Order: sequence, then structure tokens, then C-alpha cells
Amino acid sequence: MKKFVALVLAVLMMASVLVACGGGNKGGEATKTDTPKGDTPAAETLDIEDGAKLLVWSADKAVDLTKKLCEDFKAAHADKNIEIEVQVQGEDAAATQLLKDPDAAADVFSFASDQLSRLLKADSLAPVFSAEDVIARNSEDSVTVATVDGELMAFPETCDNGYCLIYDKSVVSDEQAKTLEGVLEACKAAGVKFVIDAGNGFYSCMFPFTGGLKIDGIKDDVQQFNDYNEDEVVATLKAFSDLFHKYSDIFMSSEDSRINAGFQETPHTVGAGIDGPWNVTADLAALGDNFGAAKLPTINVNGEDKQIISLHGFKYIGVNAVSKYPYAAQALADFLTNKESQVERAKAVAWAPSNEEALKDPAVTENAALSAIFEQKQYSVLQSGIAETFWTPMGALGNYLWQESANDEASIKAQLEKAIMLIKDE
Amino acid sequence: MKYIDYVQLNPFQKFWYNFKNAMIALPSNIGKVFKAIGRFFKKIFVGIGKGFAGYFTRFVKGDWATKLSYIIMGFGNIVRGQIGKGIIFLATEIAFILFMVTGLGQVGLGWSGIYNLGFFNNGKIGFHEKAYWAVDEVTGRRVHMPADNSMKLLLYGVMTLVIIALFIVIYVAATKSAYKIQQMKAAGEKPQSFKEDISALLDEKFHVTLLAFPTLTISIFTILPLIFMILIAFTNYDQSHNFFQWVGFETFGQIFATTGASALKGKTFIELTKWTLVWAVFATVLNYILGMVVALMINKKGIKLKALWRTLFVVTVAVPQFVSLLLMSQMLDFNNGAINLVLQHLGIIKEPINFLGDLSHPWIARITVIVVNIWVGIPYTILITSGILMNIPADLYESATIDGAGPVRSFVSITLPYMLFVTTPYLITTFIGNINNFNVIYLLCGSAQQSNELYRAGYTDLLVTWLFNLTTVSGDYNLAAAIGIMVFIVCATVSLLTFNLTKSAKNEEEFS
Repeated sequence: MKKFVALVLAVLMMASVLVACGGGNKGGEATKTDTPKGDTPAAETLDIEDGAKLLVWSADKAVDLTKKLCEDFKAAHADKNIEIEVQVQGEDAAATQLLKDPDAAADVFSFASDQLSRLLKADSLAPVFSAEDVIARNSEDSVTVATVDGELMAFPETCDNGYCLIYDKSVVSDEQAKTLEGVLEACKAAGVKFVIDAGNGFYSCMFPFTGGLKIDGIKDDVQQFNDYNEDEVVATLKAFSDLFHKYSDIFMSSEDSRINAGFQETPHTVGAGIDGPWNVTADLAALGDNFGAAKLPTINVNGEDKQIISLHGFKYIGVNAVSKYPYAAQALADFLTNKESQVERAKAVAWAPSNEEALKDPAVTENAALSAIFEQKQYSVLQSGIAETFWTPMGALGNYLWQESANDEASIKAQLEKAIMLIKDE
Repeated sequence: MKYIDYVQLNPFQKFWYNFKNAMIALPSNIGKVFKAIGRFFKKIFVGIGKGFAGYFTRFVKGDWATKLSYIIMGFGNIVRGQIGKGIIFLATEIAFILFMVTGLGQVGLGWSGIYNLGFFNNGKIGFHEKAYWAVDEVTGRRVHMPADNSMKLLLYGVMTLVIIALFIVIYVAATKSAYKIQQMKAAGEKPQSFKEDISALLDEKFHVTLLAFPTLTISIFTILPLIFMILIAFTNYDQSHNFFQWVGFETFGQIFATTGASALKGKTFIELTKWTLVWAVFATVLNYILGMVVALMINKKGIKLKALWRTLFVVTVAVPQFVSLLLMSQMLDFNNGAINLVLQHLGIIKEPINFLGDLSHPWIARITVIVVNIWVGIPYTILITSGILMNIPADLYESATIDGAGPVRSFVSITLPYMLFVTTPYLITTFIGNINNFNVIYLLCGSAQQSNELYRAGYTDLLVTWLFNLTTVSGDYNLAAAIGIMVFIVCATVSLLTFNLTKSAKNEEEFS
């Protein structure tokens, strides 16, 4: 009996492991002919598959809205028996999650433009079937960024993935908000902090960008930079570094959520910060009438006031290349990014549309922070063709600027060169 | 040096003397370890060689049925009445041949798997390196044609290899069985029936039955992935190579490079290896000594409420480690961290200290993680040592006191040797555990120490957290696999070396 029990246990152990590993079968393959890339069949109708089952990933904030839009989509195609499941998945990690196992990932998912190069490299995005239509209705920038070899690879969703200066009007006057020196001086007078997430490449790239560094796409897996003037970049970096050291008790490098936390404390511990639209609703709620938003300030480099250049990105809705129902997924992505959906999104979560017409909606034009971000957009580098290796070394460079006391031009130059070498990673 | 001279030395001289001897003996000890490893492999190869020798002698001595069994497995068994067994052997052979030819309909299994394994390095033999979209002729719909997945090709190749190895084992067993039954017939014995074979599996061969399932699962879920991961180190699988190829030892060359394009990787490896060893020594020794001291203090005569103190320390174990570490990381925060605020309010420091993120003084963060680790680790040592401490015969201490030994003397001469003897295996595992101590470093520092002076690493990163960064953030999978192999070599050498040198290994009977 004992032996029997032992045997059963051993079998059970193995069975439980094996059962967990059962995989699905793939269907047979039909005959196919290759289409040369870029030769898109004209005016393709999105003929939705019957009984399609779609999985949608949406950011936490927008999940209720996405669910509602998906219901609308189902209602519009009631004859097709579509099933849609909406799961919460932050846009910042959508690519990471998807690349872990594309077969199990969402069919339709929302992601920010920084992940575009990763997804393209892994061939994880299906091209937009209804490209002509999508290109026509969205802003040129948002389309350009997602176009590779003449093919649009994702549906533009928002156009506000940038940042601007958010300040407490009781601390910083509108006039002071025009220069970085003014902002820091005002914060010093009030004894509150000024926050930039200088250790995060998304924000810290503004330091070298202000000095004239620009991104020039990716060639043979290597990040290219434009022909920049190194001395000018170094001088600008030094100007930033000097300011951070001069106001070392005011300047704070911390995650952008710290800005909102500081606004909520009484008395406020943060006077201003560089923040993105995802926190703006909360900032507005915390500051009320004292809420101020403006384009990024200028910084004085060797006597000349330079506008700080930011990074400006977009959010896209992508269709998983290995989706089992590509046409249904395309149709849903198309629906989720059409003008009406974008306006609803602007109203519900204050995300600025990439649709040119939706941009004229009062929900967008009356939003101070969005206006500030649009104003900043003309002083920005578009988040396009950025290698994945860009972020970490940029963040480390940012940390160096505010931490390291040896901030003479030679050491900063050496750091800049190291960062660029690591980004290129040849 | 004679014993009488040795006894007269002061503790420092004694330590120096022992240390010197250990250092002199080190090369020969390392040699011994490698010799032992060599003996181990020799044994395996000799065993395999003997197996093959037996395979051929059996063929020579076998009659026609046995000889035919070398081609048609189980033939000898069937002819001589062991039909069930013979059919199983035959079925195995047929299944194997079918598997090798058809590959179960999966590209990459069977012969094609072996073929791919050998040749997918040049990418010229009809692999799809890029995915593309085709149009289905029947429906006119677009269809995604995925790129060949070299991960899958490699995995299937390895699986095929494992299946071939398993088949060879069964094949040799079949020839053995055929020869055995020939001998039994010759000796006039009645061969076992199938029923008897089965019942033997539940009786005198029950160990085989029991171990079969675990062995199978371990091969599938441990050994196979292990081979797979080791092979990754010899490819160029990284961010820019979804379709990867063999590159031989190039990745290992990058780890040890001192000049050229990979100099930074080489520098990072050396730097992090040094820090990993320093960390492992400090984390192990300090936790051990301090934990023991606390345990001794609690055990001391005259201390009241012993159980309470012990419980208080051990309660910290009840809090999940990651919770206390994340909390600690918050408390040590540069901006408004509790510790900085308290120190500032007390007027001890003027400027906040950047405990974890100061890039220009990485030693601050390094000391901080060691100290935090002491705080996290001491309760475990207390837990383990209190019991052993209470077991040390009290009369040893009494006689030491009568002979005029102070507390330090008793600790060094009685407690420490006793403890070391019992706990050396524990110390070794802790040391290895600390080399791979992911939690403390990662949860405490995160990426706060990320520096452009190192390749995708920070100053407090251990090799294992660097490996984590390489796989999850920057996607240098081949480099990570190579580092994993290096870490294994370091850990294996250190543990074999120390364990073979310990008294517990040399003299198991002492102190009983």
C-alpha cells in the first residue's frame, strides 16, 4: 500500500507539471503569395472575422473608457459575435509584456512611442491595413514617427506625450516661470523644492538636447546623432550642472510623482517641477487656482538665454502581428483611434488627441497644461527612431550633472562621450 | 614549527602563521579540487568506455538472434519468449525512427533539429530572418508570416539531442537484455515473463519505478533548460539579433577584454567580480559573528526574559524580506528619507547624505548595503546558532574560567571552534547565497547606482543583478548567459575548495 501511495504521488507530481505545459495547436497553412513591402492593397475593407475573440490592453486610467468604447464597437458589429476582453496594462511596459510572449499578449494594445523601435525590431506590430484613412485624419508628426519604410505601423492615439513646467502661482510668478534661473530663485525665496527627474532618460535628455544634440534615427542597429557642436552641448550641460549645484538645497531629482506629492503637502514642499500630462489632473486638483502651466523655461548659457528643448512623443494603439483575428483587431484599433473616440478620451482623461479635428475640441483647447505642452512641442525633439539603449545612459548622465562636484568642462565632456558611446553600443 | 613554539605565539602571530600556511597550501589545494573533478570525469568516461566495450563483446559472443537485436531492437526477446518486453523495445525503436524522420510535424525537431543546430550559424540555408505579410490566395486576406525563431530552433535541437541520448541508453539496454536472455536460455533457466518483469518493478526494482518520474521531470525541466542556457552563451543573441547565430567563445572574449570595443564590458566584469567577492565575505562574516555575539548575549547567565529577547529578534524574520528592504530603501532616500531627516533634525549632519545614489562616492552605497544586510541577516544567525550554543558543554567554560580565561579567550578558544565545526557547511551555503544575493542589492539600490563608467551596471551591482539588468533592460542575453557560467564556476570552485578544507569534511567523528 505504501508503495502504491508513493507511486501515485510521483505520477501526480509529474502529471501536474506536464498538464501546466500543454500548448495549443496551430492550424494548417493556406497557400500564400508574397506581397512586396510597401505595396499596400488599395482601399482595403476591414472584413471582420466571425466570432473573433480579442484581448485589449489599456492603461489603468483609461480602462473604463476603453471598456465602453469596446462595447460600442461590439454594438456596431453586432452580427459578428465579437468577444472583447479588456485588461489593465500600463503603456510604459506594454512592449516588455508583449515581447515576453507575443502569442499570449493582447491583440490590440496601447503603447508610448519610446517602445516603437523595440516592437518594430521584434516584428511584433502589424502594419495598419487602413493606412490611407488613418494618415488622412491624424497629425503629420504622429504619422511620421510611426512610419517605417513607407508603411504606417501603428494607429496614433494621442499627441501629448511630452512635458512642460508645472508651477505653484503663489510661489513662482508667470514672469519668473520664463527662465530656469527665475524659477529656482523663486523656489529658493519660498524655501520649496524644484523637481526634475534627472535620473530618468526621458527627462534628462533635455539637457543635451538644449545644447543642440538631436537624434538622427537608427542605422544598422546603431543610434545616430545629428552633427552637433560638442563644445556647445558641453557648455549647456555645464550651465545646467552649475545651476543644480548653486541651488543644491532647492533642486531635487526625484520621480515626477514627487511633484504632485509636494503640492499636496501643507505647506507645499514643492514650488515647481517638470511634469507630464499624466499627472496634470492631479496637480490641478492639488493647486486649484494657483495651478500654472507653461512651456519649459530658458536657461542662461554663457550670457545667452536658450530655450530648453524637450522630448515629445505620442501614444499609439498597435495591433499584435501574431493576432489570430488580424482584421477584427485592425477594425477595433481603427475604432479606438477615430475622431469620436479621441474626443471622448480627451474629455474623460484629458489626453490630447492626435486627430487634427479632435484637437479643436474645447476639451483640449481649454486645458492649460495641454496648451503648454503644445507650445513646448515647437521646441522639442520628436520621439522617433530612438534606440532602446538611449534611456539608461542618458539617465546616468543626468545624475552625473547634479551629483558630481567635479563639473568642469573636461569631466562633463568625458561623461557625455561615455554616454553617447553606451547609447551607440557598437 | 613545533607545537610548543606555536602555543607560545600571541594570537596575531598565530593567525599570521595559519594564514601563511593556508596561502602556501592554497595552490596544492586548488590542484586537489581540480584533480577530484578530473577523477570524476575520468570515472564517467571510463564507465562509458566499459559500456561500449561490453556492447562489442556482447555482439561478438551473441548468436544470430542477439546479433539481429542490434539492428531490430527486441528481436532476441521476442524469439525467446519475452514477447511483451521485446515489443516495447521494438516500439521504442519505431517511435524513435518516426520521430527523427518526421519530427512530429514540427520544423526543428528530429533530423532537421540536428541539422539546424549545426548550421543555423550562417543563415544562408533558407531561414526566414525577418517576418513579412503575405496575401492568402483563396481569401484575399493578409496573413502574417513569422520569422524563424532561432530560440525555438535551438530549443528543438537540444530536445532532439536529449531524446537521442535517451534512445541510446534504451538501445544499449535492449542489446544487454537480448544477450542476457541468450545466456539464460543457454544455462537452461526460464526467462522472466512480462508479468514477472512488471511485478519486479513494484518489488525488488521498486526504486527504479519511483525514480523514473522524478528523473524524467528533472531532465525536462532542469537539465534541458540548463543545456539550452549554456548554449546561448555561445551565440550572438542580443537586442539586435532576434535571429541569432553561433559565435563560439566571442562572448567570453568580451568579458575578459581589456582593450578595444569591449573594454568596458571587461572592466565592468572585473569591477563587479571584485565587489561581489568583497560583499560576499563581509555579508557572510559580519552576519555570522555579530549574530553569534547577540545570541551569546541573550544566552548569558543572569539575562532575564531570554525568550522575549529571542522572540523580538526573530519576529523580524516574520516580515517578508522584500517589505523590510523596500521600506529601508525609502528610509534611506536622499529626498526626505526618514534617516536623513532625523539626522538633520538632531544636527548631526547639515546636508542630507545620498546613501544609495551617490555616484561620485560609490563606497557610501556599498557600506550602506552591507550594514542593512547585517540588520536583515542577524536574526537568521541568532536562530541557527542559539540552539548550538546551548549545546556547548558548560563544563568547558567552567574549566576555562578556573584556568583564568576571560570572555574573549573563551569565545576564541571554545565557542568559535565549536561553532565553526558545526556550521561550516552553513557558512559555505551562506557565502554562495550572498554571491547571488539578488534581493538585498536590487530592492535596496534599484538603478540608483547606474553609472556610465560601467556597462549597463551600477557600482553596487553584484554579478547576478548585472545579469538581471542585461536580460531584462538591455537584452544582452548572450553576455548574461556567459556571466551566469562564470558565476557558476566561481561558486563551484569556492564551495568545493572550502568544503574540502573544513574539519567537518575531514573529520566527521570529532566533537561527537
